[in-house]
Amino acid sequence: MLILGGPGSHEGHEEEGHPERPERVTAVLAGVGDLDLAGDLVRVEAREATRAELIAVHDGAYLDELGAFCYGGGGDIDEDTYATYDSYSIARATAGSGLAVVDELRRRDAGVGLVVTRPPGHHALAGRAMGFCLLNNVAVAAAHLAAAGERVAIIDFDVHHGNGTQEIFWNDPRVLYVSSHQVPLFPGSGMSKEVGGPDALGATCNLPLPAGATGDVVARAYEEIAAPVLDSFAPSWVLVSAGFDAHRSDPLADLALTSGDFGALSHFAAQFTPQPGRLAFFLEGGYNLQALRASITDTLARALGEDRASEPPSSGGPGHDAVVRSAALRAAALEAAHDTKGTP
Amino acid sequence: MTTVAVGYDFSDHAHRAAQWAAAYAQRCGADVVLVHAIGLREHGEPGNPLVELAAVSAEIAAGAGLEESRVRGALDYGDACSVLLRCASAPIDASLLVVGTRGHDAHAGLLLGSTSLEVAEHATIPLVIVPTD
Ligand SMILES: [Zn+2]
Repeated sequence: MLILGGPGSHEGHEEEGHPERPERVTAVLAGVGDLDLAGDLVRVEAREATRAELIAVHDGAYLDELGAFCYGGGGDIDEDTYATYDSYSIARATAGSGLAVVDELRRRDAGVGLVVTRPPGHHALAGRAMGFCLLNNVAVAAAHLAAAGERVAIIDFDVHHGNGTQEIFWNDPRVLYVSSHQVPLFPGSGMSKEVGGPDALGATCNLPLPAGATGDVVARAYEEIAAPVLDSFAPSWVLVSAGFDAHRSDPLADLALTSGDFGALSHFAAQFTPQPGRLAFFLEGGYNLQALRASITDTLARALGEDRASEPPSSGGPGHDAVVRSAALRAAALEAAHDTKGTP
Repeated sequence: MTTVAVGYDFSDHAHRAAQWAAAYAQRCGADVVLVHAIGLREHGEPGNPLVELAAVSAEIAAGAGLEESRVRGALDYGDACSVLLRCASAPIDASLLVVGTRGHDAHAGLLLGSTSLEVAEHATIPLVIVPTD
């Protein structure tokens, strides 16, 4: 069963020629339609996240400023990021739809969640919009669950590092952040040596990959580096920052994944949920509409237990050496941090 | 050798800031680095910003009477604010940051949409904001 949420109306958040555009949602919904779920599709009503729910993640002053900016007519926040008059209310509804999906999964103890976000969230910092993102949707949901005593793992396979999510939970031992991403690339963070703050050492796990990396390399990084971290963290929930811009057809990056590779990543993430109804996907990037559609279908199919792939998994790209190096750099950074803390 | 880092986005405001930085560098014997942030959208766009930066660097150096080698370009991935803030550490190790400002175009009273104010809030080394006339 798929529990589907989204902001409802989102068309008011649009800028001519911008790749983060309303048609992305149409493509995602077409990808969901390709699954022919019929009665196994449950739509969750959107609601706006409250200030209290947002403030668990964002600075109050930033929320005020973003609201004032939008209601003043909006405009370009930086080279990448825009907001319109409607964006603040759409962003709050997007963050709220993530909360609604998570609550519905918890109520049912069944199903897989999909939050069709617009705008996306993983670059949004506590106090700043950037990288197309205004509010950090997955972080708002993770903070909501953590406050209820849950142990939340966020797995982020968007091609860009989720610097906002990493920053928000940097020193929070209740939330594990795992991210695979192309390096060098925007936003310039996400190195293997970034392992978390003093109270949450090891609860940040970065898997940087070179341009051209294929599915076999990405899978190796997850299996060899992330899987032991996820096993020992033992999450009670898994939230996936599901960006599909690592697809080989995506115009904004250079990894070489296929939709079938996203299916494999989805299968990987699902292994770490302790019971049904504890897995939710939050849309992040993905700017080639055809690739987005196929990747959503394959991702959800595997999460729902169906073995199918629109495109076969890819292999043969560079980056195996980067995975080996990553593991060593992470181990060294953890050792150095433990020495500084004076723990064995 | 002291290094002055200038946020450079190929706008008139950035050009004005680069000119100011070069004149300052000429007086105090510093080097200038024009730092260009490659954002999310810029990746994959045609053109080579490093080549364009080299041409601008030569022009800025000549305008300030500096040897060509003392003004250079550098690229980094990220938003303009984070990229400029990173210039305070290796490999650039700048001791002064310089940014232009959109002056009257900036959103009055709001941090949002203003790289210069955002950098000012987080800078760990001195920052000069060069207004456009
Ligand atoms: Zn992305």
